[in-house]
Amino acid sequence: MAATLTAGAPARPRKLLASRKTRVGILYALPVVVYLLVLFVYPIFSTLLLSLKDADGSFTLHWYADALTGVNLSVLFTTLRISAETAVLSLVFGFVLAQAITRLKPILAGLAMLVVVVPHFVSALVRTYGWIIMLGDKGLVNESLTSLSVPGAPFQLLYNELGVVIGTTSMMLPYTVLLLYGVMRGVDRRLLAAAASMGAGKVTIFRRIYLPLVAPGLASAGLLSFILSLGYYITPALMGGPNQTMIATLINQQVTKENQWNGAAAQGVILLVLTLAGLLLVKAVTSLGASRKKRSAT
Amino acid sequence: MADFGIAAPSVKVAGNKPATATGKSLSVVALRKTYGDVVAVDEASMEIAAGEFVTFLGSSGSGKTTTLMMIAGFCEPDSGTITVGDRDVTRLAPQKRGLGFVFQQYLLFPHMTVSENVAFPLTLRGVPKAEIRRRVGETLEIAGLSGFGGRKPRELSGGQQQRVALCRALVYRPPVILMDEPLGALDKKLRDQLQVEIKTIQQELGLTVIYVTHDQEEALVMSDRIAVMRNGLIEQFDTPRELFERPRTPFVADFLGAANFLPGRIEQHTDEHTLVRLDESGGLLKARRHQLPSGACVKVAVQPGRLRACATDDGFCTGTVEMATYVGTLVRAGVRVDGGDGPLLRLEVPAGRGPVTGERIGISADPGDVNLFADEQAG
Repeated sequence: MAATLTAGAPARPRKLLASRKTRVGILYALPVVVYLLVLFVYPIFSTLLLSLKDADGSFTLHWYADALTGVNLSVLFTTLRISAETAVLSLVFGFVLAQAITRLKPILAGLAMLVVVVPHFVSALVRTYGWIIMLGDKGLVNESLTSLSVPGAPFQLLYNELGVVIGTTSMMLPYTVLLLYGVMRGVDRRLLAAAASMGAGKVTIFRRIYLPLVAPGLASAGLLSFILSLGYYITPALMGGPNQTMIATLINQQVTKENQWNGAAAQGVILLVLTLAGLLLVKAVTSLGASRKKRSAT
Repeated sequence: MADFGIAAPSVKVAGNKPATATGKSLSVVALRKTYGDVVAVDEASMEIAAGEFVTFLGSSGSGKTTTLMMIAGFCEPDSGTITVGDRDVTRLAPQKRGLGFVFQQYLLFPHMTVSENVAFPLTLRGVPKAEIRRRVGETLEIAGLSGFGGRKPRELSGGQQQRVALCRALVYRPPVILMDEPLGALDKKLRDQLQVEIKTIQQELGLTVIYVTHDQEEALVMSDRIAVMRNGLIEQFDTPRELFERPRTPFVADFLGAANFLPGRIEQHTDEHTLVRLDESGGLLKARRHQLPSGACVKVAVQPGRLRACATDDGFCTGTVEMATYVGTLVRAGVRVDGGDGPLLRLEVPAGRGPVTGERIGISADPGDVNLFADEQAG
């Protein structure tokens, strides 16, 4: 009798609870859903429509053709190139920094993370102007180099690709450091000791055990800073020259100077597609990483 | 090895090659390690022969793991020397010692397959690819893991993972394999099974193994010799039989045999035996010959399994059975000894004619099973 009681009883309340939970859940979600529909989904679809409409309202693809030819195409390539350079550099610096922080004592590590993250609370505009002051011909960097009589100083550190990459890399660094630090902290140090016990030297352990274990983190951090750089506006616009025009700057110009909304919409959609592709890649890579973590946990 | 009374091994070495000892001897001299004021290991010394299975047995904080870590090289001793074969490894980094290590948490490399894990130490040694493939296959076969080579560690059960870890440690034929509670994370049945497997492989390949555990039964089943450790000291380093039957300290008698301790006083010596007058019951007990003088206060140690229930006028004391628990082949009984107010005397007797609660019985023991220790606490 006890068996039938325990077998029959819990099913119904649980079901009731579940359906009630669902209903309440929908109620809670409603404001957000409305908000997103009005302010996110609608604008995106209208942008998409805009990019497919000719001046007379008929369907056309020539805004896309425009966006993918001539100067516009080279801007797109510049954008991809600068983003890639930024991703690689922020990854390298982020790796070294995160690696150093994992070796610190907990209190110092927390302090170091603070130093990495706090600048991010300052407006990007302010930080960019800070870099401009630092990197100018009479800036701190060049003045120091000149006083040390480094040959070739002062260097052109602004209004070229170097300037843009320095700026964007510094903007991306907190992201890569945070991401990599988390992944590195998750690596079981005892695995490295195990490898050492089998005769592996430091270099081998790093290359064959440590690096593969943090690889998913490296991939997602790199892709993240790549994606974020794609749409970056302020820093490239202020620290770059005419040859470093990136797609966000171009979109801004088309809208504010040429009142060319359709072309801007097409470029916006292209940027969105690139970003989505990147995000999907991040997701694929991180889910790979997560399954790996699960593996080492068991 | 004659003590190793376990049923036929479940694993076979490929080709049934004659067992040649691949292990080397290991010697530890006056090894000492302190953490601040705490002495973790105090002047530990031992000689371990090639092909011997030695267990460090002790509770946590006994220094057994610290000793193992010093042998492995993960922890540097304050003083003392460690020699493998005829090579002094005391100050060498772990990777220079060439020893094998099996960890409690398996620590398989999660991004490698089983085969890659086992092959890892071989690739470090520049072994040719074909040779690696052959030896990995051979080693996996020894551990009953043929066909698992392509799997990732997370796709294996705990027992299988630990077998892989074992393979990884023995594939490069290290002179000594160190195991730090390798079965600690597994359930009882699997432990029993793997104990036999590890022991069999060790014997077949002639491996020198140093094994750390806090499980007395595991130590007794697997070891050629056991070092019982306590507070950083080696209490006794002996064969399981010696430890069990001739414990040198009360701690060893208690830790391995869960012995009953009875206070008493030596009455007289005969050629073979020492007669002890028990304090509580006043009974006279015949024990193994001891060099303490007559009149000395002693602690009498007898394991529960070596006590016998007998007629009330036959034993060295009488008592009332206060509890009797049936545990399969045995009955565990707690007996209130007449005149005693201390802990119950524990007996383990064959279930067939086990005493029942409330029964009055006599208790006897073979003199060879009764060990005496000087009682420092008594006046």
